[in-house]
Amino acid sequence: MLTLLLPLLVPLLAAVAVLAARRPGAAARVAGTAGVLELAAIAHAVIRIHLAGVLQAGPYLRADGLSAFFLVSIGLVFAFALAYSIGYLRHIPAGRFSSPRWFYALAFLFLFTMLAVYLSANLGLLWIFMEATTLASALLVGFYNTEGAVEAGWKYLMVCTVGIAFALFGTIVLYLAAVRSGVAGPQALDWAVLQAAAVRLRPAADLVKLAFVFAAVGYGTKVGFAPMHHWLPDAHAEAPSPISALLSAGLLNCALYALLRFNAIVGGALGPDFSHRILLGFGVLSLLLAALLIVVQRDLKRLLAYSSIEHMGVAAIGVGVGTPLALFGALLHLFNHSLAKSLLFFAAGNIRERYGNASLDEVRGLAQALPGTSVGLVAGGLAIAGLPPFGLFLSEFIILSALFATGHYVVAVVVLASFSVVFAALLHHVQPLLAGVAPAPERSFRTWWPGLAVMGVCGLCLLVLGVHLPAAFSRLLNAAVAVLRP
Amino acid sequence: MGWIDAVAANLLASSAGLLLILALLMAATTRARTCILLFGLQSAVIAAQIAALARLHHFAEGWAVAALVVVVKVVAIPWVLLRITTALQTTPIAAAAIGPTASVFVGSGLILLSFAVVRPYVAELGVDPARLAAAVAVVLIGGLLMVTRRKALMQVLGLLVLENGIFLAALTTTLGMPLVVEIGISFDLLMWVFLMGLFVFRIRDTFDHVDVSRLRRLRG
Repeated sequence: MLTLLLPLLVPLLAAVAVLAARRPGAAARVAGTAGVLELAAIAHAVIRIHLAGVLQAGPYLRADGLSAFFLVSIGLVFAFALAYSIGYLRHIPAGRFSSPRWFYALAFLFLFTMLAVYLSANLGLLWIFMEATTLASALLVGFYNTEGAVEAGWKYLMVCTVGIAFALFGTIVLYLAAVRSGVAGPQALDWAVLQAAAVRLRPAADLVKLAFVFAAVGYGTKVGFAPMHHWLPDAHAEAPSPISALLSAGLLNCALYALLRFNAIVGGALGPDFSHRILLGFGVLSLLLAALLIVVQRDLKRLLAYSSIEHMGVAAIGVGVGTPLALFGALLHLFNHSLAKSLLFFAAGNIRERYGNASLDEVRGLAQALPGTSVGLVAGGLAIAGLPPFGLFLSEFIILSALFATGHYVVAVVVLASFSVVFAALLHHVQPLLAGVAPAPERSFRTWWPGLAVMGVCGLCLLVLGVHLPAAFSRLLNAAVAVLRP
Repeated sequence: MGWIDAVAANLLASSAGLLLILALLMAATTRARTCILLFGLQSAVIAAQIAALARLHHFAEGWAVAALVVVVKVVAIPWVLLRITTALQTTPIAAAAIGPTASVFVGSGLILLSFAVVRPYVAELGVDPARLAAAVAVVLIGGLLMVTRRKALMQVLGLLVLENGIFLAALTTTLGMPLVVEIGISFDLLMWVFLMGLFVFRIRDTFDHVDVSRLRRLRG
């Protein structure tokens, strides 16, 4: 019981404690301590889940192998983002809702909502916490209070809430299908019950299909699938960089997790073809569109945002193929992408602090001005381009081989073509940043060493995952795949 | 207590018509305050409908959900929205991309459309076609408000109307979601309105207007 409650309680209490810490510097210390406690709580929960297979706490909390995998991912990303923020926030002036105190408090609330999504046993609660992720992060997106940030925050709240309203409708329709197929009322939203009773939903096939389409559009909006991706580049570009990392490496996975749960239920009821074809379609569309739009970007953080759309597309394609190998590849890809995108957004954060913006036209002489950051940027850039020896090469290779093995030749060719375009575009955009002479900084700026250390750890993890999958990590992945393909 | 049941049944039968009329009035109105009051009325009709269903089908959860709707959607949200319009002190006109006449015309078209789209499901689900059609129509008219109104506040209202429609659809087809879920959804909605209010003020402070159609900095 407490095992699953603890990871949820710590961030809630942390948010309150941080808000109460009014002395300068105290907020960062409280946040750091709470972060360590939270990591311990998540690690404990993951180990217990691993030993027990499925952990249940009351009627509304449950975690299985799939939840455990995503818990590990969000735990790591949050720890990185928090460590980076403590250095990053030194320059933030105190304002209403935009002081470091509010930053940490909202970040912990944001973490709470994402963890709650992973631990909900009920599709209704899952929806509620999914909407809550938007609410918790909207003020963080608009944190800088500039024209761009306010507009991005507004757009984010509006587009994501409209999107997620579709998912609510999808959830209701699935509930209706379950109730009509004789699943008892209060349990008709429980994903484990629904997955076990999926075959009984078959008479209500039309409703189940309707439910999945609405869920795919709704949660797909938050994943950033094209053509519902419009909020994503704005939010990622305008948010403070640690938050961009949390959005890209945490929130998008969280939304995809919701779709994975729906996919498992609908696949059980109708056979895998229907839901897989939809995911494959969204995946290919997102990949293609993002690959083309990366070429024309003029801002580093927007470029990274489009790259997130691209990689979410790749993961969706992996899920859409649906063989155990492809699912393994898709989950591994999500994990690798989280690491690489954290690294890159941290690098972009340093660049924005040093140069005042992250414009691809104005930033020059990076190698000379910020040597550590530019190593991180290049390593991360090579990683998201899918080059060996980084982890994304491995996961993209697995997904591609699964595509060929299942005869999806057209999709495979599209994927390969998109990868080449992205590779060329990244080379074209990143290389000029490094060379040349840096302008004098607008204000004194020194990179803070723990921030660089965090980037180093991200890069190291990516390198390790590209060369060798640790046995414990493989087991974690296999347990998650087993949930998706019983 | 036969007459209470009779009243409840009557209310249920006439609620679809009431909701459609309210939705059309919303499409027609040009003043933000009127629109907020109409939203409150719409929520009140929905609350009455839940209470009637709770009475007729003898399920206790219904009373709690009805009370929740009254507190959140009839009182709290309209109150917050009215406070915002007062504080903003902008022109009370809810500037729209199309005029009220065209708006009503499109709205009527959407109502006809909803009657057409629910037809295949009515027989299978065994529900009152008018009530299901009213739910779909409320969703569509909420969408219409969001698409055609340019003021930030009216877009918020459009989404609230849309959500009311989804709520109605759930109510008509399944007697609503479990209570815990309803409470969570209401809480989310309330927080969302607060945050939107916060952003409306920020838009005013940073841009000196609340015309969302002029937010065009971020492109591509």
